[in-house]
Amino acid sequence: VRGTEIKIFVDGAEVSAVDGQSLAGALHSTGRRVLRRNLVTGEPRAPFCGMGVCFECEVLVDGVASRACMVHVRPGMAVTTRSAVQRPVVAPSTEGSLAEDPYGPTLHCDVAVVGGGPAGLYAALRLAGSGARVVLLEEAEALGGQYFKRRQGQVLATYGEHRPEGGDLIAAVRAAGVHCRPGNAVWGAEPDGRTLLTYDRSGRTRSVTARAILVATGAYERSLPFPGWQLPGVVTPGYALHLATCDRVPVGRRAIVAGSGPFLLPVSCALLEVGVDVVAVAELHRPYAPSLAGLRTMRHPARLREFLTYRAYLARHRVPLLQGCRVGSASGAGALEWVRLARARDGGVVERDFEVDTLAVGYGFRPAVELAGLLGVECVAGPGGDLVPRTDGAGRTSTGHVYVAGEAAGIAGVHAARARAEVAAAAIAADLGLPGAGPASVASRRRARRHERFAALTTRLYPVPDSLVTGVPDATLICRCEGVTAGQIRAAAGTGLQDRNGVKGVTRAGMGPCQGRECAPAVAALTDPASPAVDPTPFSGRMPIKPVPMRVALGALADTLSPDSSLVDGDWS
Amino acid sequence: LSRRTADAVVIGAGILGAATAYELADAGRRVVVLERHVPNREGSGTTAGNLHIQAIHTRRPGQPIPADSRRFLPLQLAASRLWSDLEARLDADLELRRGGGFMVAETPEQVQELTDKNKMEAEFDLSTEVLDGDQARAELPLLSNTVLAASWCDLDGYANPLLVTPAYLAAARRRGAAVHGFSPVTTIARDAGGWLVGTPQTTWHTPTVINTAGPWISQVAALAGIGLEMNPVAIQMHVTTRIRPVMRHLVQHIGEGLSVKQVSAGHVLIGGGWPAQRLDLVGRSAPSPRSVAGNLWRAARILPFLADLHLLRVWAGPLAATPDELPVIGEVPGAPGFFVAGGTYAFTLAPLWSVVLRGLIAGREPGVRIDDLGPDRLCGRPVTGGHPEERQG
Repeated sequence: VRGTEIKIFVDGAEVSAVDGQSLAGALHSTGRRVLRRNLVTGEPRAPFCGMGVCFECEVLVDGVASRACMVHVRPGMAVTTRSAVQRPVVAPSTEGSLAEDPYGPTLHCDVAVVGGGPAGLYAALRLAGSGARVVLLEEAEALGGQYFKRRQGQVLATYGEHRPEGGDLIAAVRAAGVHCRPGNAVWGAEPDGRTLLTYDRSGRTRSVTARAILVATGAYERSLPFPGWQLPGVVTPGYALHLATCDRVPVGRRAIVAGSGPFLLPVSCALLEVGVDVVAVAELHRPYAPSLAGLRTMRHPARLREFLTYRAYLARHRVPLLQGCRVGSASGAGALEWVRLARARDGGVVERDFEVDTLAVGYGFRPAVELAGLLGVECVAGPGGDLVPRTDGAGRTSTGHVYVAGEAAGIAGVHAARARAEVAAAAIAADLGLPGAGPASVASRRRARRHERFAALTTRLYPVPDSLVTGVPDATLICRCEGVTAGQIRAAAGTGLQDRNGVKGVTRAGMGPCQGRECAPAVAALTDPASPAVDPTPFSGRMPIKPVPMRVALGALADTLSPDSSLVDGDWS
Repeated sequence: LSRRTADAVVIGAGILGAATAYELADAGRRVVVLERHVPNREGSGTTAGNLHIQAIHTRRPGQPIPADSRRFLPLQLAASRLWSDLEARLDADLELRRGGGFMVAETPEQVQELTDKNKMEAEFDLSTEVLDGDQARAELPLLSNTVLAASWCDLDGYANPLLVTPAYLAAARRRGAAVHGFSPVTTIARDAGGWLVGTPQTTWHTPTVINTAGPWISQVAALAGIGLEMNPVAIQMHVTTRIRPVMRHLVQHIGEGLSVKQVSAGHVLIGGGWPAQRLDLVGRSAPSPRSVAGNLWRAARILPFLADLHLLRVWAGPLAATPDELPVIGEVPGAPGFFVAGGTYAFTLAPLWSVVLRGLIAGREPGVRIDDLGPDRLCGRPVTGGHPEERQG
């Protein structure tokens, strides 16, 4: 990467980084994979999800607990890994009382769009065009979401836009007068269900009151537990892709890309491009063998062309595409050294070990429905078993003023996200009686339907059987945060008196900082055959939607406390 | 629909139901526990897990009638003795800990309250000490300079509420008790020599019914034609992310709703009886953002290090309060064999109430005075709150 390198400080040592890189990527490029130890098991842990879900990359940035994947490097940034900070206790002020509006100031608008990915951007653009005052809230520091995640700083200057249409779309959204607030996370809602509580990186709270809320919170990767999945070196395909495209950092030297779904192919290609030796792509199913379902992909020529491009690229680099292949285990001393793949053959199972330093493994995506849940939206089990909000096809939900679009409405890909966003924007404009309201075009509704059919086909080609989870050995870690094993969960479920929430209570599975996002479906799969769930919600849509700094939860009242009164944050040493 | 018999039917598998089932099974009785959903899901599993031994703070935020702390004190002391050997009796790790507790004061009036409280505690032979601010900070340097005085009681403590009820149930089952989850009671009728308690699966014939249904006590009583007035509310709890061990004490406030302690896993649990949005008896009650700010602000004012932690989770749960804020325990007048136990501070008092019920059912005098805590004072109201459609069974 050309351009001036910047200096950051890691545990006191000066380290070079490239302007524009995420902190996780910058640390990774210096060989710092392990950023913390698990507080329960003491095991070394490294960034896993790369999108703010798993909390395995949490470090202290200038004294504030932060996820390294969610912040970009800045000159002089002081990073502390794995250790506690000690600062003197200072007497607090006694002034202040319960403020009327602790989470203000309040911004009023017609539509609050939550999520700055494709669905949120397309919908915001359309709504602004209809005359709505739109506020677009995005947790990450830059708009774009995962699909249109843009390169930044010197990485952008050197390599250009990775998906230029994303940059164009963001520019159009800004030009249309949408009030964009990247770096503002929604962490809760007022009881009116119309007022969203947000905060930015500096800890400043603001609330946004809207006549309508569009939930476009996207998705996160579906990770399934297997022995050794917590080892440094095991990552999600999405994180490997982020490192390759946005940070221009190879995730490792030798990698296996595994799991299931069409996403594995572009990820493998991106890894090859930055010099990773991709040893194999291991797909759980046989979607690329001739089949009736496979034939249906012929009806989606654009998707088929994409697929053929990736396959040709992999073939050129002689990367074997292993089908019908499952990840058996990962092992190594303190970090990944071996991956065991298992393949059914001739009625038996053939296992083969690969010596690699990286395993990028994922099984598609899960809708991020926490905010929808918090706002009281009724969710139902969608294809693949994950919860999806129940909608009328135009993004309307069981909560009158709450709409949902994009992956949060069910996994269907970026093209469907755009079509759904346009249909939902038209519904909102009509329901609010906006000046520019008009029905969604026949074309966009037809597009939406075509993409839904493609999504259904994908789900059929890449199903995720429960047996992948229910078959894991007892010693397998299920809850990464709290160090809970499959055996402990089976024992709790085996009493016949607990459902999945009860199992959570007695084992602590799902009680860590990721709030069950990584393990809740696995806990459910291991529990429910023994004791069916009373409440099928895998984890509640409750505030805080993700862990928030206490000063954020204190709102305006934080100002009445002494500004520096801290003892500890982040880890224990 | 099958028909079976039991020596006692316990309705509700919260901590009171579980503890009572254990004591009765331990006394050799054939006990059946009927739980509409899963055990420990409501008030008992969402509570703070405090063992309140020094005299209590009398008014949670929004509480209309203050609790009579003098009336509670002998009950707390009796319960305290029972908690001491509970892990051994149940053969289970409850994360039980007596790290002692502070109740802090920030104004001269509150300091006076602490002094009065200390005198009252001495009357009941409970040894507590009123420390000035510096003495308290010498003991727990994390306390802020706003603390003018603190009452200290070395018996205050904590037990993990997610472990206690399951441990009671497991011990009860080992002694022959049958625990049925997903078994809502839909009918209760008088029958020769006792009661018929019906679930959709089974009707149980029993001389003894124990209603420990927490916030649903009124509804369950109504099934038996008993009008019993309760005043359940929903309160909320807050927990931080894990940190290394920094405090072993329970910290409360004499004038405001506040309880703080660090639990075994490293999280700091912050409560104080702050009201949730509303009590939801069908689904889960939702926490109130106003109460989040109000409760955490008081916590961070007393323990400033909290302001720099992260808030991990907030949850709400029901509190089976009575209209006069006193516990309810005993046999319903005119309904022989029908017992009720509930009220606030049920977590601390559960070992006591279960032993008292064991004695009452055996016809013995309770070891503590409870004559003024019986359900008679809550009876006489018209039968309300029952579900008519469920009564048909």
